[in-house]
Amino acid sequence: MGAIHGLLARLTGDFGATLVLGAGLILGFLTFNVLFLIWLERKVSAHAQRRLGPMEVGFHGSLQTIADMLKLLSKQLVTPLATDHFTFLFAPILIFIPTICLTSLVPLGNAQAFAEMPNGLAVVVVLSGVTVIAIFMAGWSSNNKYAVLGGMRSVAQVVAYEIPVLLSALSVVLIAQSLNLHQIVAGQHVPYVLYEPVAALIFFVGITAETNRAPFDIPEAESELVGGFHTEYTGMRFALFFFAEYTNMLVLGAVGATLFLGGWKGPWVGSLPWLGPLYILLKAYLVVFMMMWARWTFPRLRFDQLMNFAWKLLIPVALVNLLVTAVVLQALPRP
Amino acid sequence: MNLVRRVLTGLKSLLVGLGVTGRHMLRPVVTLQYPHELPDVSRWGGPIELVTFPETGTHDCIACNACTRICPSDCFDIAGARPPGLKKMRATRFVLDFSTCSLCGLCIDVCPTETLKYSAHFDDAAYHRDQTMNDLLAPFGDDPYLSGKLT
Repeated sequence: MGAIHGLLARLTGDFGATLVLGAGLILGFLTFNVLFLIWLERKVSAHAQRRLGPMEVGFHGSLQTIADMLKLLSKQLVTPLATDHFTFLFAPILIFIPTICLTSLVPLGNAQAFAEMPNGLAVVVVLSGVTVIAIFMAGWSSNNKYAVLGGMRSVAQVVAYEIPVLLSALSVVLIAQSLNLHQIVAGQHVPYVLYEPVAALIFFVGITAETNRAPFDIPEAESELVGGFHTEYTGMRFALFFFAEYTNMLVLGAVGATLFLGGWKGPWVGSLPWLGPLYILLKAYLVVFMMMWARWTFPRLRFDQLMNFAWKLLIPVALVNLLVTAVVLQALPRP
Repeated sequence: MNLVRRVLTGLKSLLVGLGVTGRHMLRPVVTLQYPHELPDVSRWGGPIELVTFPETGTHDCIACNACTRICPSDCFDIAGARPPGLKKMRATRFVLDFSTCSLCGLCIDVCPTETLKYSAHFDDAAYHRDQTMNDLLAPFGDDPYLSGKLT
């Protein structure tokens, strides 16, 4: 790693080398992660139904996603004539950008992250809301009624579920007294999920809805909207949406793990610092596994049920939870 | 209060659902990896075939046409000849039109020499109707009675 950095530094300078290496690491890891997660999703779905899932390509189908990706790469890219071309082509790229930015913010160890920000959590919340613009761009520019409906549903859904996510994250901020993700992890001698089980549950439901995962997958409800916002996308452009969904799952899972499950902390991490990134990854995958488990258990909600659930239940409960947290923190003596 | 109860019931039902899929995840899979693993065909009733008797190493069809008469779908096309020095006839032609066979098993019941049975074939396939004409004598090759090897 150091040798590659030195070689790059001769070409681009020290800062440029760090930038290129960091971006390369993140993108490489995210690509690997997507391949793994799609395989995991298929395995989880299979075993929940007592099937085996992909078994033919590689050991237990481990290379299946690579084969699928090669097939998608080789497919013809169709751009319908009546689309808004620039928006149509830019949306699959835009959907990826905030996710990659988010990845760089997650603390990987003691004072270790690709990017450090004093108000990291605020940036996380803002960036995770940007994805919806790309989804809406894709839906609107497609000039297809299903795609427009999917895009509009996605906007309504993400706007509604952003609020409970924010409120439940705020109750963690109240305990940690900081928006800095590093300090939030540093403050967790006990994982905050034990202090804030309700907030953790609401956060989990919220990120499931924000990543458009079942049972909140109405933006791409197959039975009603064909493919939803990505109906008109083919080949690798469609794959980019697929990539973004799974990357988003991991990144929001990692944010959830940072907020509620103690982030990079774990046994022996003090003496062996390289365990930090491993712990945060394991915890993120745990959250992702829970999301997959939920997907293969629950049926999809109807749109009005979905909105009622967010506005009439999740937001009031999150508000009450925040209030209780604030009152209890005021009542307790300051350390 | 009613709302709280509904929320709690809903939450419980979600957990029960997760429990159901979670339990199934831990149970053994029921999939059979077909080309690699083959199903248990010991009780399978596949297309009719002729029995090979271990004593003679061949079938015992006497071309009596009892099966032809009982067959509701008129599947059989059988011809026979009498080998020199033998009382019994031997089948020289035994073709079963599997496209009309309904596997009812009447021929198996009626066969006087018990030389018909269900086979264990489960993956027969054909592109054309004439490929479903199963020549049941084909696996036996040269008839030992007709060629005089057995008397």
